[in-house]
Amino acid sequence: MGFAMRMKLNDSIVKKETFRNTYIDGKRSGFEFKAQLAYYRGHFLSDIDSLEVYLDGEKMPDWAITFELNGKEMPLYKVYEAQTEFWSQVNQATIRVVKAGGVADGDHELDFRLMLRVPYMQIGPDHNFMPLDSGEKVTVHVEEVKEGKFDE
Amino acid sequence: MSDLKIGATLFCYGTEYARYEYDFEECVKQAALNGAEGYEIVATQMIPEYPNVSDAFIGKVERLRREYGIGPISYAANNDKGMRWDRNLTDDEMLANAIIDLKSAHALGCHVMRVQYMMSPEAFVRLAPYAELYDVKCGIEIHNPETPNSPVMQKYLELIKKSGSKYLGFVPDFGFLSVQPNHPMWLRALRNGVKEEHLRLAEKLRREGVSQEEAAKQVMAAGASPAIMEALSGMWGFVQFHDEKDLPGLLQELKDILPYSFECHCKFHYLDENNHEFSIPYNKIFEVLKASDFKGYLVCEYEDETYCGGTGYTRRMLAMQHELLEK
Repeated sequence: MGFAMRMKLNDSIVKKETFRNTYIDGKRSGFEFKAQLAYYRGHFLSDIDSLEVYLDGEKMPDWAITFELNGKEMPLYKVYEAQTEFWSQVNQATIRVVKAGGVADGDHELDFRLMLRVPYMQIGPDHNFMPLDSGEKVTVHVEEVKEGKFDE
Repeated sequence: MSDLKIGATLFCYGTEYARYEYDFEECVKQAALNGAEGYEIVATQMIPEYPNVSDAFIGKVERLRREYGIGPISYAANNDKGMRWDRNLTDDEMLANAIIDLKSAHALGCHVMRVQYMMSPEAFVRLAPYAELYDVKCGIEIHNPETPNSPVMQKYLELIKKSGSKYLGFVPDFGFLSVQPNHPMWLRALRNGVKEEHLRLAEKLRREGVSQEEAAKQVMAAGASPAIMEALSGMWGFVQFHDEKDLPGLLQELKDILPYSFECHCKFHYLDENNHEFSIPYNKIFEVLKASDFKGYLVCEYEDETYCGGTGYTRRMLAMQHELLEK
């Protein structure tokens, strides 16, 4: 990959504390986390060139990933064409992955790869714009909440 | 006779805003407390329902106007020609988006809109009748490395003159009058292990008009750390500077473009305790402004290149503007 702009105004892109398992009928069946855009302004989702999620080095399939913003949960292929959904820089998107068994307790490496075009910085002829790297690789922690536990 | 007002773009507080340290209200409050008489809003940065403006947001803007005494005076539009995945927007589409921007600017009570040169000169002049309806003057931003005499800006000027519209013009950004290297960039290079002598050499080559490629060769041959490349791309790119001997000519370019300007951006990167900006000669710029017939806001704009937050430097910049205008 060639040069890409990074603008780390905020300390974290992936909000580690939001990482958690998701459940279907009481069984761990995937995970979710929130992410903030790493730029000074917001972007239409159609500025996103690619979004990938890797957990412990394993690439999650595109079709099992959804992206939720402004109350709409979308599959990735729609994200790339969402010209009317604006991702404000202070609104966090929720990224979800459906995955049987979810994530085991302990530490995990989450690699969130997000590439955008800066749509007002044309750097060459035709459809050629400044790439923006708004991804982040972090270590996340999962711990099961025991059912029925109630401290008094 | 000139009528110069002091403004700030809330973009100055962009780092604090991104970190959730400031919300929109705090940005307005900081601008007001430090002496701004009005503010510019970067639409894609702070308007919650962008590209539309909700009644709730207008209500908030009006409440803040009553509370802090200032409101939005200018709407900074982004002209996102590359927003589609498959191709560039056409002129018709760029125009349609800019008309939505005009509607939002009008709803906020702004009478000036900053337009970026992604919008072609041909599309820009077609904006005139809509700008008149909404009573919003549209100015193409002249941003370093462009200057008013750059061919692309001259092309806009030619078509603006031909249109005869009083609603089309420019927003010059005084970054184009930089005559010293960008100070935060310089400090960052030193921190990254670049030696001062090598930065001085790069500065000298830049002043002599040597190409970036040739300068890179020469500084590397002199034993510079490869970390100097970032400084070089700044010096030859968005924070490039001119030699002092070119300043009278650049000030003349400013004088020539002011009659077509609706607002000016007082760019700043670094000010010392005496409110002195390191690379942009504000004393001389304000002499030109005071002697002109320009009427409008001088909107200070901080570029936070070291991600240290804008509050402190914006306070100094607004103080400097007050001093220079004896307000």
